[in-house]
Amino acid sequence: MAEGSLLSDELLRHLMAVGQVDVVVGVPTLNNASTIGGVVSAVHQAFGRYFSRDRTVLINSDGGSVDGTQDVIRDCSVDQSGTVTVSHALRTMHSISTPYHGVPGKGSALRQIMTAADLAQAKVVAVLDADVASATPEWVASLVQPVRNQQFDYVAPIYSRHPLDSPLITQLVRPLFRAASGWQVREPLAAEFGCSNRFLTHCLEQAVWDDELARYGIDLWLTATALYGGFRCCQTTLGPRVAAAAHGRPGFQEVFQQVAGSVFLLLEQQASFWLTRVGSEQIPIAGPAADGGSDGQAPGVSRLASTLRDDLRNLESVLQAILSEDTLRELNAIAEANLEELHYPDALWVRTVYEFLGAFHRGVMKREHVTQALIPLYLGRTGSFLIEQASRSQAEVEAALEALCVEFERAKPSLVEHWNQNQPHAR
Amino acid sequence: MNSAAAGSPDADLLWFRDAVIYQLHVKTFADSNSDGIGDFKGLTGKLDYLRDLGVDCLWLMPMYPSPFRDDGYDIADYYSIHPSYGTLDDFRAFLDAAHARRIRVITELVLNHTSDQHTWFKQARSARDNPLRDWYVWSDTDERYKSVRIIFLDTERSNWAWDPESKAYYWHRFFFHQPDLNYDNPAVREEMWKVMSFWLELGVDGFRVDAVPYLIEREGTSCENLPETHGVMRWLRTQLDTHFPGRMLLAEANQPPEHVCEYFGDGDEFHMAFHFPLMTRMFMAVRLEDRKPLVDVVERTPEIPASCQWGIFLRNHDELTLEMVTEVEREYMYEEYGRDPVSRLNLGIRRRLAPLLDGDRRRIELMNGIVMSMPGSPIIYYGDEIGMGDNIYLGDRNGVRTPMQWNGGWNAGFSAADPERLAQPLISNPLYGYQALNVESQLRADHSLLNWMRRLMSVRRSSHVFSRGSTTFLRPANHRVLAYLRTLGKEQVLVVCNLSSSAQAVELDLRSLAGALPIEMFGKSLFPRIGELPYMLTLGPYDFFWFKLRRV
Repeated sequence: MAEGSLLSDELLRHLMAVGQVDVVVGVPTLNNASTIGGVVSAVHQAFGRYFSRDRTVLINSDGGSVDGTQDVIRDCSVDQSGTVTVSHALRTMHSISTPYHGVPGKGSALRQIMTAADLAQAKVVAVLDADVASATPEWVASLVQPVRNQQFDYVAPIYSRHPLDSPLITQLVRPLFRAASGWQVREPLAAEFGCSNRFLTHCLEQAVWDDELARYGIDLWLTATALYGGFRCCQTTLGPRVAAAAHGRPGFQEVFQQVAGSVFLLLEQQASFWLTRVGSEQIPIAGPAADGGSDGQAPGVSRLASTLRDDLRNLESVLQAILSEDTLRELNAIAEANLEELHYPDALWVRTVYEFLGAFHRGVMKREHVTQALIPLYLGRTGSFLIEQASRSQAEVEAALEALCVEFERAKPSLVEHWNQNQPHAR
Repeated sequence: MNSAAAGSPDADLLWFRDAVIYQLHVKTFADSNSDGIGDFKGLTGKLDYLRDLGVDCLWLMPMYPSPFRDDGYDIADYYSIHPSYGTLDDFRAFLDAAHARRIRVITELVLNHTSDQHTWFKQARSARDNPLRDWYVWSDTDERYKSVRIIFLDTERSNWAWDPESKAYYWHRFFFHQPDLNYDNPAVREEMWKVMSFWLELGVDGFRVDAVPYLIEREGTSCENLPETHGVMRWLRTQLDTHFPGRMLLAEANQPPEHVCEYFGDGDEFHMAFHFPLMTRMFMAVRLEDRKPLVDVVERTPEIPASCQWGIFLRNHDELTLEMVTEVEREYMYEEYGRDPVSRLNLGIRRRLAPLLDGDRRRIELMNGIVMSMPGSPIIYYGDEIGMGDNIYLGDRNGVRTPMQWNGGWNAGFSAADPERLAQPLISNPLYGYQALNVESQLRADHSLLNWMRRLMSVRRSSHVFSRGSTTFLRPANHRVLAYLRTLGKEQVLVVCNLSSSAQAVELDLRSLAGALPIEMFGKSLFPRIGELPYMLTLGPYDFFWFKLRRV
């Protein structure tokens, strides 16, 4: 490999053979042998069924799998995937599996996929997560078609899921991103997306790729970059998203810190874009609107509440450096309540998050300590929300989530004021 | 016994396997008597041109008396020549002259149907008890064979037509004025063998048999490719082999390869059959810049008996048929090759080769380079060797049947008649018009398409590997490069084609040929010896190479 090159000579030889393409589907992998076959099969079937006339290639960028992931991809020939006989592809379907080099993490994999797609002059790139067990050919079509047919630059997914699912998204990422950015994106942190060549060229020119954000927050950064950069964005309905069994994945605390840290870091880096935004705008949905999700999986509520109580005591000194006196006092009052009376109101949760974000910005302590300290509060808030919404209909829960987003937007001036008054310390 | 013609009774009985066939319409090729219609005397005068081109066999479109409602495919008399084309004596003289130049001649045999003006049909419809009534397929209802598809969708609503004279329906798979003959009637088969014998006695070398799959009808079937139809053909073949060995039958059966193969039987039905799917997929591959459709169809094509051969072609007198492709493929072909809705006819595109390829000389050469190196006997449609254009506004398929453009003078040298009298108007537009595009001017230019075609055919003729060799596709990673190895005994030719409009690099895995020395067959240039490493080639847009592989 030439020094400093993102692309190995082997990958370049593959790209020379593939030549100019219309659609690239990228799949970053790291030890996904158990699920990657299904994802590749879905991609190949999509090529045959929906893009039979297009020049297509699947590019797998692997972070050093030791479980045979790349072998599975190589063995997953087009013929095996296809019961597609009537509308089979007119063209050769290509599949490239290549290791990436550089900083470990999804950012490097995406950078390699995007660079390869750019060299191949791809008109559309879609990215699928390798550990998703519910990917279908229609997912690929839904991510690609808005770019190819409607000239959108960025396509974010909408998954069908119960409103009580994924509280990290619904309680923190979605409302905070919406209030800050001014855009109503259902899944700002989605592993799947579609984008245009114009957008990926722009992304490749940015300095994010060797940054901390690229490692765990690249998905969020892509969404924000598309919105802040004035690119034409839309959302598309993919249906239920079922991730493979959590074997080998990081635990909750680590995930929380990666996610919250990425959101805070993004807002830190892109403050100039969002500080002046007021209110929020909807992002159009390309294709049919999302239907309601199926069964929700409520986390253990009693554990969430007891965590709040215990950790508030343990973290008191840390929280004093982050939260205002009023906020801390109100939180202590909540923590003393009985489990069935646990009530962590929207306004207090919003204030909590904003004060944490301010602390992150000011650098009152190491940033990972800030995000770590937010965990018990998040768990308490989630427990409170689940208790309150447990007997309500999906529509009612959706309304409650929307109210939370509105509360984040309403309180944004306090965040901005707080942000502007407190310049960060170097940490 | 009357053996194969072309001047030598000892001629190879399997001559058709190595032949380059040239399809022409007497009506529009050359007019000797200035009546505006081509004729056999005119054609005879052009035989030297055809010999010099490198043609081994002529396929004549129908030359029989006909009301010409389907350009002669509606035959009104099987035993004569249309008076506009001359006489039987003119035909005999033409045949002798062709054979003297070692050019064989096959004629059109429309077995499936006649014109409604044929005396057989006139008698058959005259009365229900007429002895010839049963020579056609009649019914009191149009409800029979309901599941059978209609071929000419643009003009026909049913395969049955009402005959007001005998107050019954008659069966027709093509135009309503072309009633189908009833091959369940032995008398019809006998009569058709009599027709064939008549022309074979005159010396024709075979027949291109029109509309083969439709000879027999059976309720509850598609009425295509029925076993009984094969039975009819086997009987005719037996007669042919018994009385005229070395003569050839070429089947027109626009069907998927697996069905067409059935017409070879065990080497006891047709000697040749057109490979329609290959034709479509050659066009598809070049436009897609991807070898997949072409390789797929060749690999899907079953083996045929050693004594048989495919007829492979780029264009003919009909529309570029899209009957036997998938919906997706058809949609693609229409969008890429038939953007002008007027160019679409039935399920196909009525255009000549050059306009289909936007007049791009490089693509025309590539397509000819492929068809001349694929397994089969290539068939050239008249005028395509000079890149003639078409006129899609002439109706039906007449736009690809305009007069041959011999020179830039009066009526393109086709006829001395007043232009208004011509059988078909000339192509006169600035791009493809006869003033600029004609045989005479191309003969004068060393690098004209015509002279290039002559060289191409000459190189093809230099080795039987093209016509008789096996074919093995290579699979380089670059899908825009089509590469295959033709092998006959110790002789090997490597064909490498760039299907793309941009330059391409390709690495070929030729380890099994290590030590061989590639010699480019047109310029005789030596290329680096093949070794164990991938063999690297670069090809310009639409370039192709034919390498003879020698071991020195």
